Amino acid sequence: MITRRALLANGAKVAVGTVYGGTLVGFLTGCGSSDDAETPIVEVIPGGLMVVNPILCVGCRRCEIACSWSHGKSAVSPSTSRIKVAKNLNFGPHGVQPNYQDQRGEQGDSTIVPSTCRQCDVCMTVCPQKAITVNEETGARVVNDDLCVGCGYCADKCPQQVITIDKTTRKSLKCDLCEGSPNCAQVCPTGAIKFYTWEDAVAEVELHEKYLELV
Amino acid sequence: MTTTYGGWAGYILRVNLTTKVITKETTETYHDYIGGMGIGYKVLWDDHVDGIKATDAENQLVISAGPLSGSGAICSARTTITSRNPVIRNHLITDGHFGGHFSPELKFAGYDAIIIEGKSETPVWLKIVDDTVTLEPADSLWGVGIFDTFASISKLMGQQAQIAAIGPSGEHLVAQSTIQTQGGHSAGGHGAVLGSKKLKAIGIIGTGTVDIAESTTNEQLRELDDHILGIIGANNNGVVPNQPQSWAEYSSTGSRWRGGPGVTWGAADNPVDVGETPWDDRQKVGMRTSMAEMYFGRDEANKIFKRPGGCHSCPIRCFCEVKNPKMKTEYNLPTENITNVCLGFLDPWYAMGKPSSGEKRTDIQTVGAYYMDDNGIWSAYGQLSHLMREFTARGFWEIILPAEEYAAINWAQYADLDAHFMQDFYTRIAYSEDYPGSNILGRCLGRGLHEFINEDGELYNVEDILNEVESPRMAELTFELESDANYDLVGKTYSVFLDKNMKVFNRSMVGGVHHASESAGQVGALLNTVFNRDPQCHSHINLINCGLPHAKIAEVAASLWGEGAFDPVQHYTAMNTSKAKFAKWCLVKNVLHDSLTLCNWMFPLVVSPDANRDYIGDSSIEAQMFSLVTGIETSEAELDAMAESVLQLHRALTVLQMNEIDQRNKHDVLSEWVYDLDHDKNFGDEGTIKMDRDDIQIGLDMFYAEMGWDKDTGVPTRATLEKFKLGYVADKLESLALLPA
Repeated sequence: MITRRALLANGAKVAVGTVYGGTLVGFLTGCGSSDDAETPIVEVIPGGLMVVNPILCVGCRRCEIACSWSHGKSAVSPSTSRIKVAKNLNFGPHGVQPNYQDQRGEQGDSTIVPSTCRQCDVCMTVCPQKAITVNEETGARVVNDDLCVGCGYCADKCPQQVITIDKTTRKSLKCDLCEGSPNCAQVCPTGAIKFYTWEDAVAEVELHEKYLELV
Repeated sequence: MTTTYGGWAGYILRVNLTTKVITKETTETYHDYIGGMGIGYKVLWDDHVDGIKATDAENQLVISAGPLSGSGAICSARTTITSRNPVIRNHLITDGHFGGHFSPELKFAGYDAIIIEGKSETPVWLKIVDDTVTLEPADSLWGVGIFDTFASISKLMGQQAQIAAIGPSGEHLVAQSTIQTQGGHSAGGHGAVLGSKKLKAIGIIGTGTVDIAESTTNEQLRELDDHILGIIGANNNGVVPNQPQSWAEYSSTGSRWRGGPGVTWGAADNPVDVGETPWDDRQKVGMRTSMAEMYFGRDEANKIFKRPGGCHSCPIRCFCEVKNPKMKTEYNLPTENITNVCLGFLDPWYAMGKPSSGEKRTDIQTVGAYYMDDNGIWSAYGQLSHLMREFTARGFWEIILPAEEYAAINWAQYADLDAHFMQDFYTRIAYSEDYPGSNILGRCLGRGLHEFINEDGELYNVEDILNEVESPRMAELTFELESDANYDLVGKTYSVFLDKNMKVFNRSMVGGVHHASESAGQVGALLNTVFNRDPQCHSHINLINCGLPHAKIAEVAASLWGEGAFDPVQHYTAMNTSKAKFAKWCLVKNVLHDSLTLCNWMFPLVVSPDANRDYIGDSSIEAQMFSLVTGIETSEAELDAMAESVLQLHRALTVLQMNEIDQRNKHDVLSEWVYDLDHDKNFGDEGTIKMDRDDIQIGLDMFYAEMGWDKDTGVPTRATLEKFKLGYVADKLESLALLPA
């Protein structure tokens, strides 16, 4: 059995065009995985994922706004944003704890840990309409609105809980990497959110994961 | 909502705490008043009741957002709170504001404002989850500090809730109390109003959207966002760096663009070296301000500064998230983290006598900020701390306080600059009569200076005032310091209007100085006469403290308001009409921002860091934002006219509440020290901020003329009120003999 740490320690990298599975991809995508490294989970294709560095995030939520602005109807809201800051903003990823002052969040140690889509396959796999497919150019898993019926399976199963169903249109709202030029990253005033290729993402994801844990 | 406007959510909640009835009404009634402050003033005008106190059940409190809140427009997340204010003489109306994420959440829930009226018999909190609005019992929250209140309500609602609350200070009807949201965002002076109504907190979850006008495209919003980022500076719109940087033509130590080489987010888990912060690096905008070194000194800041913080949709980040482990280890607090800005850190420091930078100052500011915020205490722009510091320096407390109380206060801690003093100090203020013993100190500091002085600024016997004695004795305090000799004051009866260290600027309202004559001569002085509390106006500061050379600033000022609008600081020339136009512009923009609700600490942006634009900004950005978000094509002049209407209403409501037509002599009056300081200098000499009595009277003449106010009384004329669609206001004032002939 290869553990994630062992894999990383061995200098394993994720290369485009290769089918990877097991702990490394599970780690990168946040999908969770079996410890059976032989089980393929995801085929790595061009593109990558958005990750926020919690040390640099200053909680302005301009990324949420830019996401709202850049998709369809001009209606600004965290609920229509594909990146989620609010849910971890005040008290961190685990909500109010008895020692909330020591936990993450604005009311805790002031660390803010926004959640982003890791472009894993879970939503695509669970969609009964086959409405989510891979954009071969960007690598993003994207929703086909013509097929989406708003059942919410993708949102329920999303490991990062960053998919929502638009209350008005009843369509799934999922990060599509803005066709290769993510708006959230462009408006971040500290460079906290960045697009990482699969090859570059390991250290950033590891840092992010550290801040999701209870302190 | 029956229109297709963007921006406004469409509804206002009216919450009657006496009857427990909660109703919705349309926001369209208030569209002419923009939003925010405009809604607040219109509601209080419509429902005016003569002679009531701020803490009476008949008083209303309005919490309002503007059409830009939540739209994503840059720096648009202010929340305005409007009500009669117990800190102000005659409990006149004021508007306070906090930032954070509250008003966007209110908009996402579907509301532009909440009108709170009546009074509950038992403690309650208001729960808003979109369309579901309920009053919940708050018995278990009453007496709880603000931080734990936030946590308790978040646990009940879900942690995404945005919450505003009062602390023990508001509960005890302490006039100097705040309403606060997330971290240290606080609005000053109205905590006691909510306390009197037994409303502990408001929690909101909004899952809806702020809709943008259908005629506006996403690309237009992004384009405007980019345009603003190309001309916005740092905090208070400093547009040059504080220290030289390789990309910068200019630098100025007066600029709040503090982020640069040598600045480190040293308390971050992996310290961040800020390095150079070029104006066109959009991914370093949030690092420019790095204000901690202004409050703590660079060495301390580099140790304790974790990151900057601030409000929804703002890239500038003026708040300082700091980590001082000693808060836990030495001061027994439950946290080592604190976030705040400006007086949130400075008030404790002022109160303790302004020690120089170092660990003692850091401890005072972080520990003090914790106790101020957890108790919900308002500094009144430093008046609280100025009073504490000045009376201590003069030995007045030993005279004022009963011997037993004086002996019980740890003055040795105070003298030793020991931050442990902060716990007892702020607890005395917050708990007022419920603090053990006589607590004259806390009750006096918490009540507001205006209660304790006569028309000449001389102090009554404090205990007589607190005991509501009908004919209170005088305190019989005299000027005795060596420094008083320079002003021929030794042996004379002490007056807060003569004491330049007390910084009472507007003597009628007893308001503290806030960017007045020390910043912009008569311009600052005039705009400090109009509001009922310190004006919280940074319209002028965003130009004059931008850091550009004076010649450039004077050129911009001349282009906007005429030659001679802006003198070099501390080298003032006589009053002229350009300055009157400048002062009016400042107030109009201030009211505009408090109505939109946009940050007046950042906007207007009349200058920029862009040398290619010759450092010129764009004063029409607010109108561009308003037009895109609402879909109502509105020019800068048209939007300013709407804001001026709110400003005229503000003045008229003050006339109505005071039942006083003579605003010139009963409201717009400056303290003596403003004219008498620097005894060895005359008005106009280089190096002094002193004003001249006759010159200020000329200033009022010119300013009233610009405002369309009657020269003798300073009250808006009928013609002016009708010009701004306020004929009904003129009718009411006329019926009460409060309208100029």
